[in-house]
Amino acid sequence: MKLKDIIIALNLEVKTGKDLLEREVTGGYAGDLLSDVLANPKKGNIWITLQIHQNIIAVASSKQLSGIIIVNGRKPEEETLKKAKEEKIPVMISNLLTYEVAGRLYEIGIR
Amino acid sequence: MRDNVITLKPDDTMNDVRRILRDNKISGIPVVDDDRLVGIVTIDDFIICLLEDGGINEKIENRMTKNVVTVYSDDPIVQVVCKFDRDGYGRFPVIDRDTKKLVGIITKGNIIEGLLKKLEIDYHEEEIHRYRASHIFEDVISDNSTLILKYRIKGGDFKKAGEQTSKIRKNLLRLGFLPETIRRVAIAAFEAEMNIVIYTPEGELVAKIQPDKITVNAIDSGPGISDVKQAMRQGYSTAPDWVRELGFGAGMGLPNIKNYSDEMKIKSKVGNGTNLQFIVYKEGKSSK
Amino acid sequence: MKLDKIISVLDAEILCIVKNKLNSDITKACGADLMSDVLAFVQPDTLLLTGLTTPQVVYTAENAGVNVVCFVRGKKPHKETVDLAKEKKITLLVTKIPMFESCGILYKNGLMGYSEISKQ
Repeated sequence: MKLKDIIIALNLEVKTGKDLLEREVTGGYAGDLLSDVLANPKKGNIWITLQIHQNIIAVASSKQLSGIIIVNGRKPEEETLKKAKEEKIPVMISNLLTYEVAGRLYEIGIR
Repeated sequence: MRDNVITLKPDDTMNDVRRILRDNKISGIPVVDDDRLVGIVTIDDFIICLLEDGGINEKIENRMTKNVVTVYSDDPIVQVVCKFDRDGYGRFPVIDRDTKKLVGIITKGNIIEGLLKKLEIDYHEEEIHRYRASHIFEDVISDNSTLILKYRIKGGDFKKAGEQTSKIRKNLLRLGFLPETIRRVAIAAFEAEMNIVIYTPEGELVAKIQPDKITVNAIDSGPGISDVKQAMRQGYSTAPDWVRELGFGAGMGLPNIKNYSDEMKIKSKVGNGTNLQFIVYKEGKSSK
Repeated sequence: MKLDKIISVLDAEILCIVKNKLNSDITKACGADLMSDVLAFVQPDTLLLTGLTTPQVVYTAENAGVNVVCFVRGKKPHKETVDLAKEKKITLLVTKIPMFESCGILYKNGLMGYSEISKQ
């Protein structure tokens, strides 16, 4: 499944990486502890988190994640969005919480 | 009540009654014709029929009690208990009010069993009630009664961070405050306690409890906050990464205290520590 | 969803449980590792899924009115966290399944999130 399909299915707001939405999503990962995210997700996974700190971009970039969904409608810091553009990491926002975002992605076949 | 009731038909014999009473160790069996309750046959009926010749082969129809006292499945238990007391029966068939079909049977034993279970659940709550000191403010005669509770907090001690708030919470419970009021105080106090543990060498929580409101002061000897307005912004944080890895320091602490309290004030000077005060009114903000 | 069903679909291990609670009904769930966020949005009587195993998870649950916490990705807390939970009468579970899939499986089995609960 491609990022653009997920954006449509979950009605996400795209903050950065509008030109990167053809990216293939290999699976889902949810978590807010950066050390966990550095250890666990696989390349191409989409990451669901509450964190908005700029460190999330470095983490996503080093793990080659396909994108980040920030939940609960939280607004990422300016610095975070700037880094996201530089590192080519699509950042998207959902008004839902992690549980429902993960639930709905799982429902449309993301594992 | 018990569902899956064992029943008999009117043209079964008293012999069948014997078998069922023996095999299931029960003392009464409803008699059902086409899902409708038509009677009840008990161990007493069986003993009487044994005393008569040929009684054992007689049809139940001729031996059962026909005007059965029943209860509806949605009757309150209290009503059923009264009925047991008044009518002296050992069991009542339970009927669905709409369909008039037999759905279960209730005995005194069922009720006692249910009450025992309820008692067990209530035990914990009763424990709290026993210790409740909610009368304190009513017993003390004064124009203004205030209870002050003070708790010391050691900075950096993550194993214990949260413990002092837990004590405040327990006391408010004993003092009889409403759960929602306690929840608001506890969440705000917990965040204040976490801030002291994360950012300062030591501090204290002082809870001032009055009948109509709870005021908490979180006082520390830490580095102070240079820009209070910025610190209040959701998502703003100066926390180091190790704090973030402990699930805090994502810039939600002060906004949480503000949201859960009715009033909040921060007095802080860099190098001189911080005094954060919040107030939760018993009846909420509107009625203060 | 009944607690025993949650335990079975997540293949969870019970670390401590309040007596007679296996049959209790849980109507909603949320998952997060940041406790201040949990304190900000969590509703009482929610199942909390988390990857954090510190004692503050138990204090957070106590203060926010959460009765059941399930740790994900097989992370087991230290004994002191479990002891604290016993004292506070909070049920602790642990599942080997990661957060994403845990949410997915429960969601698929009909346990709702907050936006759906609020629509009801």
